[in-house]
Amino acid sequence: MTALLLGALGLTLSLLAPKLLATARWTDRAPVAGVLLWQSLTLTAVLCALGVVLAAPEEASRAAGARHPETVAALLFSLAVAATIVIRLIVSLVKVTSRARARRDRHRMLVDLLDRVERHDGLSGGEVRILEAPLPLAYCVPGRDPRVVLSDGVLKVLDRPQVDAVLAHERAHLRHKHELVMESFTAFYQAVPGPLRDKAPLDAVHLLLEMVADDAARRRAGSGPLRAALERLTDAVPLAEEVTADPEGESRRRRLARLEGPVASSVALTVAGTAAAAGLLVLPTVILVVPWLARALDAWPFQ
Amino acid sequence: MARNDLEREVMAKLWDAGEALTVRQVFELLNRDRDLAYTTVMTVLDRLAKKGLVIQRKDDRAYRYAPAQTREEMTAGVMLDALSATPDRDAALAYFVGRLSPEALTAAIEKARNIER
Repeated sequence: MTALLLGALGLTLSLLAPKLLATARWTDRAPVAGVLLWQSLTLTAVLCALGVVLAAPEEASRAAGARHPETVAALLFSLAVAATIVIRLIVSLVKVTSRARARRDRHRMLVDLLDRVERHDGLSGGEVRILEAPLPLAYCVPGRDPRVVLSDGVLKVLDRPQVDAVLAHERAHLRHKHELVMESFTAFYQAVPGPLRDKAPLDAVHLLLEMVADDAARRRAGSGPLRAALERLTDAVPLAEEVTADPEGESRRRRLARLEGPVASSVALTVAGTAAAAGLLVLPTVILVVPWLARALDAWPFQ
Repeated sequence: MARNDLEREVMAKLWDAGEALTVRQVFELLNRDRDLAYTTVMTVLDRLAKKGLVIQRKDDRAYRYAPAQTREEMTAGVMLDALSATPDRDAALAYFVGRLSPEALTAAIEKARNIER
């Protein structure tokens, strides 16, 4: 029974729930809770898979009521499957983080060399690097020794308050270590066997993290400059021909839309979403513990 | 002076020169503004060559150094690397306006360059 319940929960969480969460729009008003929900959803699905693998043969053998060599073999096999799942996830995480670190190290070295110091012109912060390129581009290189990179196209297209809003946005990514969240989802994505892979969670989490950084930047620099910066940088990067097919266009629209109103985030939704994320994580435990408690209580009077 | 700053300045001199320079030439260009040891400049050039950023070739009696790529080429390469993140290439960097496909980015760089002219 436990295995069946866990299996049903695991399938729901890995097939149905991601579809619902990826298309949900309430998360735009509670991006932090949205990210937490994605994390707990993914982790719970993994725990369910492990639970099924471990509980099924144990339950089957108890139903058979005998210690046949077959049941021992089945138990060993299920342990091996569970170990494979765990090892695969860990290996994937190590691979993703080490490759990302190597790429960032090289990238940091190159932007340091290409930096046009003389164009900093009073920009705050020693981690800012300016590339000589007309294409407006702003991004950060996370890590222990982070960088915020702007092309001088950005300085041409945006005024100072807008540049400050962009810097505040990138620094929010760095301060909140958003790269760790993205790395863990990337690692999970790559650990899943090819045909079952789904990019939707990655894209959804990426967009939610942008929204979290937007909220931080708006608190520091005001929503006006941030919105203007987002609009101008979007216009300046020519994407016209593919905007229809490009989900990126849709994410920009959503980011701009939530910067229009007075307040983008809803406290109630954040609290509810966070509670749901915590609850979800506890579910497999409850499913495992409750039947065990029931059995234990049944046995109680006969002792 | 930080090691990174010195490497950056040496690269800037090489890019501005437009031709391969000897250690002596780089040393003299840098020392217009400050006092550096000749061997320091030599070490920096050697390090840049080891990283593959500078090409070293023997010319008559002296070694000459030239950037492996122009500043524009290297900048375009860096921007391509920054923007072309896909799940298969890891989430290494974070961006303000989102991700582009490499083709779209190359087109964008090209277009921005044409506008500039």
